[in-house]
Amino acid sequence: MLPGLVSCGGGSTGGGSGGEGGGGTLTVLAGSSLTDAFGELAKTFEEQNPGVEVRQSFESSSTLLAQIQQGAPADVFASASEEEMDTATKDGLVYGEPEVFVKNREVVMVPKDNPAGIEGFRDVAKPGVKLVLAERGVPAADYALEILGKADEEYGAGFEKDVLSNVVSREADVRASVNRVVVGDADATFGYASDFTPDIRDRVDIVPIPPDLNIIATYPVAALKDAKDPELARKWVNLVTGEEGQRVLDKWGFEPAA
Amino acid sequence: MGRGKGGRLPRRSGSGDALASGLAVAALALLAGFISLPILSLVIWTVSEDSWRAMASPVARDALLLSIKTTSISMAIIITLGTPAAYVLARADFPGKKIVETLVDIPAVLPPSAAGIALLLTFGRFGLVGQYLSVFGITLSFTTVAVVIAEVFVAGHFYVRQAAVGFAGVRRDVEEAALVDGAGRLSAFTKVTVPLTFPALIAGAMMAWARALGEFGATIVFAGSFRGVTQTVPLAIFAEFQGNIDAAVALSVLVLGFAFVVILAVRYLTKKAVDYEN
Repeated sequence: MLPGLVSCGGGSTGGGSGGEGGGGTLTVLAGSSLTDAFGELAKTFEEQNPGVEVRQSFESSSTLLAQIQQGAPADVFASASEEEMDTATKDGLVYGEPEVFVKNREVVMVPKDNPAGIEGFRDVAKPGVKLVLAERGVPAADYALEILGKADEEYGAGFEKDVLSNVVSREADVRASVNRVVVGDADATFGYASDFTPDIRDRVDIVPIPPDLNIIATYPVAALKDAKDPELARKWVNLVTGEEGQRVLDKWGFEPAA
Repeated sequence: MGRGKGGRLPRRSGSGDALASGLAVAALALLAGFISLPILSLVIWTVSEDSWRAMASPVARDALLLSIKTTSISMAIIITLGTPAAYVLARADFPGKKIVETLVDIPAVLPPSAAGIALLLTFGRFGLVGQYLSVFGITLSFTTVAVVIAEVFVAGHFYVRQAAVGFAGVRRDVEEAALVDGAGRLSAFTKVTVPLTFPALIAGAMMAWARALGEFGATIVFAGSFRGVTQTVPLAIFAEFQGNIDAAVALSVLVLGFAFVVILAVRYLTKKAVDYEN
């Protein structure tokens, strides 16, 4: 929950003894929606590469990009949006070509008892709905704004403005905004289908966004130029783009990239 | 924190002593350097990246105004409740006093993010207290009130502790003399005890204010972050860090300058007050 600001110091603190002989650590920075899927894949990776320890930091892709730009010691970056990855590529921080490995769909989430009575997507604009969004720049929130822009054209009559005037808080990342709904303080939030994890299904309901308005998030992954062991970093990319990785990602609600 | 007692190190001859004081001075220099380098880095970035303009941005202005407003209200609450509470802690003996003292200390040790979770589970919509408040249509989450609650929770300790130590230092016979002279309990307290404790009270208030101004974890967890309502300066810094690092740096410098001004003003006023009493 607390920001990992510590890790953006200067890069001299990264432990790890390099990747020779199969040992060492792999540091993966990933958008917070990937928390569960990558958590599971880390175990797979450690089994496939004995002696390697996978360390992961999950935050909003925009925070992670800022950390990488400030020289955080990291080997792999998995972003919830191509925008962050494009910036990283332009800044010369990426090793090789980024690969899109999954897609994710935006949904509206409401508490199970649905205090604001949100039955359909349009109800998000009802006055008095306590809506929580992730911070500006966080992909999940930017997609939500894009969706609202499209909805405005279709529904008209200031739909977007009504929705935005319902926003009561901007959270650090998408998982934090979903948790506002889980504890029941917010009436609704925008999140990814993959954020509707099994452990919150008894507290949260999904309100689908009409497909013609929805935006599909594409997730690119890449090894980083400053990786201690670029080959090991490539192996992670191969894992998540490969069959085993895709199976785990599918299990956690992601859609295949192709 | 230092009340500027002045005075110099006791002097005695001997080369061992010289070495010891040399090391002590070196330690102080190291510490001062360690603190000033990050401050310097902030200023250098602001100058070299020309990020001054971000200080005048609406986000920065709203955040600073909100911080001033919430910390002022928090301090009013802390001083109003904390002063008599500290006096009781310093003077009275009652069963369970140790437990109460420990309780007062807990927020200082508890990580603020944990405090935020605790407040959320208490005052949130389905919280222990919040569920009854929401029956009356009162919701605290995502309001400025929640920011003040978070600040009072994490900062109150610093004032109460310092004030209690101050009150304990006032000799009972001085207070009793005032009572004998016909003063009521309340006026003996306000006219004798409080003035004698003034430097301690100010020092405690300053610590508490500084803690409230820097409050981040409890606020972002409990109150959320929204411009002009719950986004205080530390939250604005974090929010800007996601996209606009220049603005984040500028805000940090802004709050640094603000803190400097307040500390200097309080130091000056305290000195005046103490001089006046003497």
